[in-house]
Amino acid sequence: MKQLRSIVLSIVMLTIAGIVAIPFYYIVVNTLKTQPEISASPLGLPSGLDFSNYSEVFATLPIWQSFLNTLYVGVVSITLMLLIGSMAAYGMLIGQGLLTRLIGVMCLIAFLVPGQTTLIPLYRMLSGMYLVDTLEGLVVLYMAGSIFCYFLIIGYMRTLPIELFESARIDGAGAFRIYWSIVLPLIRPILVTVGVFQAMWVWNDFITPNVFINSPDKQTLVLQVYSAVGQFSTDWPAFMTLSVIVLAPLVVFFIAAQRHIVSGLVTGSVKG
Amino acid sequence: MGTVLAPPRSKPPLQRAPRLTRLQRLRRRGIESYLFTLPVVIVFVVLFAIPLAQSFYYSLTDFNGYSTDADFVGLANYTTIWQDSSMLSALGFTLVFTVGTTAAITALAIPLALVLNRKFFGRNLVRSVFFFPSVVSVAILGLVWGFIFAPLGTGVINSIIGWFGAEPIAWLAEPTLAKLSVIIVAVWGGTGWHAVLYLAYLQAIPSEFYEAAGIDGATRWQQFRYLTLPLLIPAMTVSQLLLLTGGLKVYDLPYTLTGGGPGFATRTLTQSIIENGIAQGEVGKASALSVVFFVAVGLIIVAQLALARRLESRFS
Repeated sequence: MKQLRSIVLSIVMLTIAGIVAIPFYYIVVNTLKTQPEISASPLGLPSGLDFSNYSEVFATLPIWQSFLNTLYVGVVSITLMLLIGSMAAYGMLIGQGLLTRLIGVMCLIAFLVPGQTTLIPLYRMLSGMYLVDTLEGLVVLYMAGSIFCYFLIIGYMRTLPIELFESARIDGAGAFRIYWSIVLPLIRPILVTVGVFQAMWVWNDFITPNVFINSPDKQTLVLQVYSAVGQFSTDWPAFMTLSVIVLAPLVVFFIAAQRHIVSGLVTGSVKG
Repeated sequence: MGTVLAPPRSKPPLQRAPRLTRLQRLRRRGIESYLFTLPVVIVFVVLFAIPLAQSFYYSLTDFNGYSTDADFVGLANYTTIWQDSSMLSALGFTLVFTVGTTAAITALAIPLALVLNRKFFGRNLVRSVFFFPSVVSVAILGLVWGFIFAPLGTGVINSIIGWFGAEPIAWLAEPTLAKLSVIIVAVWGGTGWHAVLYLAYLQAIPSEFYEAAGIDGATRWQQFRYLTLPLLIPAMTVSQLLLLTGGLKVYDLPYTLTGGGPGFATRTLTQSIIENGIAQGEVGKASALSVVFFVAVGLIIVAQLALARRLESRFS
């Protein structure tokens, strides 16, 4: 009886999951078809394995350029925000007094301010610094994410015994030495979790590049897909192919990092 | 959220380092700790404090983005935003979207989490399939769904409807349907994420609780009502807070799926702020809207936390 119930549950849930996955099946299967084939039957299987859409998309669009742009922005901004966030968390942990408490309140305010409220002044500020339409400008904006890093990292640090940090001090190590050779290795698990989480944000972000980037050679991948839709409005297979090319690395990332994504989701939502 | 809002825990006094008086040590530690927090202070000042102050300031002026002499207009911008039909419809749709997605995702994610908490063949696959949409870019998903909803040959939904002999439906061209379509896609993309969140809380409930309840003769429904549900209230607080604030901030999905149309039907507040403030140079008006937005998000967070506290005390 119990086994039967489990089988029924399996069948029902796998069917529902199949329906939920249709959009992904749809874009993948249509990259192997020609336009008339799609029109005839959008969900049907292709008549053969034809990868010409892929070579066509790679030939017409600077995908590698956008990929490198996204990678550059991602790596630089994630490194910096983890550094800023973890330094702040360590400073708050060893710090005392009114000023330290003030900085804590500051971070809380920053956490509550929606990006929409600061968008217009930030646009004007970046354009005054000639950083609009540059990848460095995006990095500057993504530094706002160090606040989220700070909250997650300090939450994790508080679970560690303070003696770990203090014993090195008694041995005569300076604060920066302690931070670099003791604190950072100790908090590696949370750095990975936060890093994975923030990488997803930067990689998938659309609003920031859409507002701040105009030149085609500075586009991130997501922005490139968006602008290609206009270009490909009549060439559906090319659009589907581009989407698959951009989504494919995320499938690999998802399989490799699912555990970290889930733990980031849970700690992130509890702490933040 | 709750843990963040609590005041920072004060540390117990630390062990004394040799040859330094307590005062000297504190002073040294103070200076060092400020050096460590300096970068985050710079981030706060440059990316939050100054822009926030400027938004407040612009909202009180008729600044157009170019003129050097912006005049102080008091609260005029705050009254004109309530007369601008595009901004009002953006406000309306943003609220409909927020309430719609919060209600629908909560109603679907809890049962999904309860099912995923049971053992069955293919459970990990099912969980991954539901979860995957929230790992990829919402903007790309919006574009893909644009093709799926299309009345053209790519439109999967219309061709399925066609098998049953029905006429194709112009999903994205009719205001109410377009709103519904955006919400459907958001629910499709967000349910898995929130189900995994609920699942994490469900898995934290010790199985002994259920065993004890079973021995006491509690029915399945009683177990859910008096055991699972109260323990899920904190998860609901977190999930709904994320859904409400995320809903108010929504931009990517409607923008890529419908472009905010037809007309202003699926325009969002964020799109309104960007278009008025950056493209059209109505900085004063857009800033007023962004300040109202900030206040609204803040109020929702406070209200949700207060409500959660009352619910928690009622159920437990």
